[in-house]
Amino acid sequence: MTAPFEPGRGYRLNPDVALRPEPFGALAYHFGTRRLSFLKAPDLVELVRGLGSHRSVSDALAAVPDGRRDVYLRALAALAASDMIVPQPDRSEMP
Amino acid sequence: MQQDTRADPSPAGADHDLGLGQEPGTGEPGITEELLVEEVSIDGMCGVY
Repeated sequence: MTAPFEPGRGYRLNPDVALRPEPFGALAYHFGTRRLSFLKAPDLVELVRGLGSHRSVSDALAAVPDGRRDVYLRALAALAASDMIVPQPDRSEMP
Repeated sequence: MQQDTRADPSPAGADHDLGLGQEPGTGEPGITEELLVEEVSIDGMCGVY
């Protein structure tokens, strides 16, 4: 079962997921669940690729224009629900 | 002698003001949500992979 999406946490692309660039954005394939997701905006693909370099999803969304933030947040929540993005390990647990 | 006992001081045509004071879009279904992510399962598509 997938944990609830928490924008206050850091997330990253699931290592089991491959992103293939497409003219509309990207195709994400999850090798574990064998599910495909269409990411239908190049900006969203960029956001997902760079997600791991931010401390939280909210931080990552700071670069998104105000009016678009909710849409991108819902998109990331959908990707988290399908395990395409996963929470980053707690930094305090890292060596 | 007749007196005008009408209590309604509203000007003629006031009946056509229905809707004034309502916020635009109140009670309307939400704008179609833009979906940036669509999911597809390829389970059962034998021979594709």
